[in-house]
Amino acid sequence: MIEVTDLTKTFGTTTAVDHVSFTVRPGMVTGFLGPNGAGKSTTMRMIVGLDRPTSGHARVNGVAYRQLRDPLRQVGILLDAKAVHTGRSARDHLAAMGATHGIGRARVDEVIALTGLESVARKRVGGFSLGMGQRLGIAAALLGDPRVLILDEPVNGLDPEGVVWVRTLARHLAGEGRTVFLSSHLMSEMAQTADHIIVLGRGRVIADAPVAAIVAQSSGGAVTVRSPQTAELSAAMTAAGGSVAAGENGALLVSNLAAARIGELAAQDRIVLHELTPVAGSLERAYMELTQGEAEYVSGGAPGTPPPPPTGAPIATGDPR
Amino acid sequence: MTAPALTVSPALQGAHGVSFAGAIRSEWIKLRSLRSTFWCAVIIVVLNVAVSPLLLAVLPADGLPSGPSTMSLVVSAITVGSGFTSLVAAVIGALTITGEYGTGMIRSTFAAVPKRLPALAAKAVVLVLAVFVVAAVSVTLSTLIVLAQASGRGLDLDLDGAFWLALLGDAGYLALIGLMALTVGAIVRNTAGAIATMVGLILVLPNVASLVSALARVTWLQNVGEFLPSTAGSRMYAYPSPGLDAVVQQAQPGAITLEPWQGLLVLLAWIVVLATIATILVRRRDV
Repeated sequence: MIEVTDLTKTFGTTTAVDHVSFTVRPGMVTGFLGPNGAGKSTTMRMIVGLDRPTSGHARVNGVAYRQLRDPLRQVGILLDAKAVHTGRSARDHLAAMGATHGIGRARVDEVIALTGLESVARKRVGGFSLGMGQRLGIAAALLGDPRVLILDEPVNGLDPEGVVWVRTLARHLAGEGRTVFLSSHLMSEMAQTADHIIVLGRGRVIADAPVAAIVAQSSGGAVTVRSPQTAELSAAMTAAGGSVAAGENGALLVSNLAAARIGELAAQDRIVLHELTPVAGSLERAYMELTQGEAEYVSGGAPGTPPPPPTGAPIATGDPR
Repeated sequence: MTAPALTVSPALQGAHGVSFAGAIRSEWIKLRSLRSTFWCAVIIVVLNVAVSPLLLAVLPADGLPSGPSTMSLVVSAITVGSGFTSLVAAVIGALTITGEYGTGMIRSTFAAVPKRLPALAAKAVVLVLAVFVVAAVSVTLSTLIVLAQASGRGLDLDLDGAFWLALLGDAGYLALIGLMALTVGAIVRNTAGAIATMVGLILVLPNVASLVSALARVTWLQNVGEFLPSTAGSRMYAYPSPGLDAVVQQAQPGAITLEPWQGLLVLLAWIVVLATIATILVRRRDV
């Protein structure tokens, strides 16, 4: 369990984290999502006492991290930047970390095996690929068999096999009743891993809800319709109260009308349909809507880039207690 | 919602909360698992052993002293390398912490020991012991070489308490300079900055002070220089020599020469001040 209360961090005149409050519960994977620079890493660093909050506080398992008597046994941390001395071997790094808590070589070798680092365990970390570095970071996080895992961008730099491995591991750890809190700036990754999502934009929580709720409230529900009689179809849809937009490759994107209704209307007017596909609201889309205008650096509308998606209804924040 | 019981790995039996003994073991693993530590230790021993025979080797037979200044010369020969090896000790000391700031390892260290100061204290303990042992080995080897050389040249040796204290002081001086570099490293958090600061404090400033005070005959500057860490610290391994002191007094009346124990206290005072600043900053700063 991680409880963050009114956490704020300012660097000079910049507010990196702005009165953030949320709770991360055990037994599920909670995704921490937001564009780069949204304040995810700073929030995570404050949770584990590396950064000092300007105001507010964070507790892990009911205790401020700095007051934990056995932090490595309670919380496993993988931080965004490599937090490993490059001149030391992976095995020595883990042994040094474990020694603080009386965790011996047996457990070190166990996490090395668990993360598939056996072949490089005695090599110096400086020569590691990004993926191996991430695996070592995850091994360090698992060292104390902690109840809470805080993983900042765990799939960064991993190959597809590694990505699946992290996903499976996160699900497995949550299934054991642990608290799993992982950050990403990639929505697609979260859609496949997380049960619950907290979205951060410009230092503020802009959504805190189960994945399903976020998807459902996004402006989904459109239907892709393809027909050789585009003009007639478009007119019929508009007449029936639907709104029509141009889809891909000449298709129409109809919203406010159910797929069945569109089919009936087409049959009525004897319009030939080549495709009738409901478009599920995607987490990707919901995320884009949520973080619209929240990204620190918004790419300019260069010629040829698609227009930004329409802004949907605001999504309720606050956890569904 | 009840969480299923967590399975704890049997390999974790014996694990406990974070402890100071654990932090010391951790820092020992860290120190010995870096190549830089090994090479610095080798350089200290080789350098010290290599330069120790030079002094007696170059002195002509009629230049050899007799009486009380004999032992002063012998101790000087044994400890002549300290001016260089103390710089290497400073490098080890600085790297102990700046290597962690430079690579990001410091975040892992402070995540494991969130109160931070026990980690810093453990670094200090491990560093001081390790540098002392390395310095003691190098001093012992140099002593064997110089004593063999001295008796070969027919010098009257008097291995009294002051002689052994000077050798102990030499090893202790290196350990304390290493510790001082650790505190400087904790303050500046940057390897180049920490080493440059140490070189300035223990090499450049004393030379400037003695050069200027000698040329301009300013005794107060000479006396200020006496309290610089390396000058004060070097008294720890000086064999008391009343004859030399008299010469100094004649050349510069009012010049202070610290006793070995005073030199130790002055060096410790430097370290206490720097360590206080370091602990305040380390506790407060984000990493």
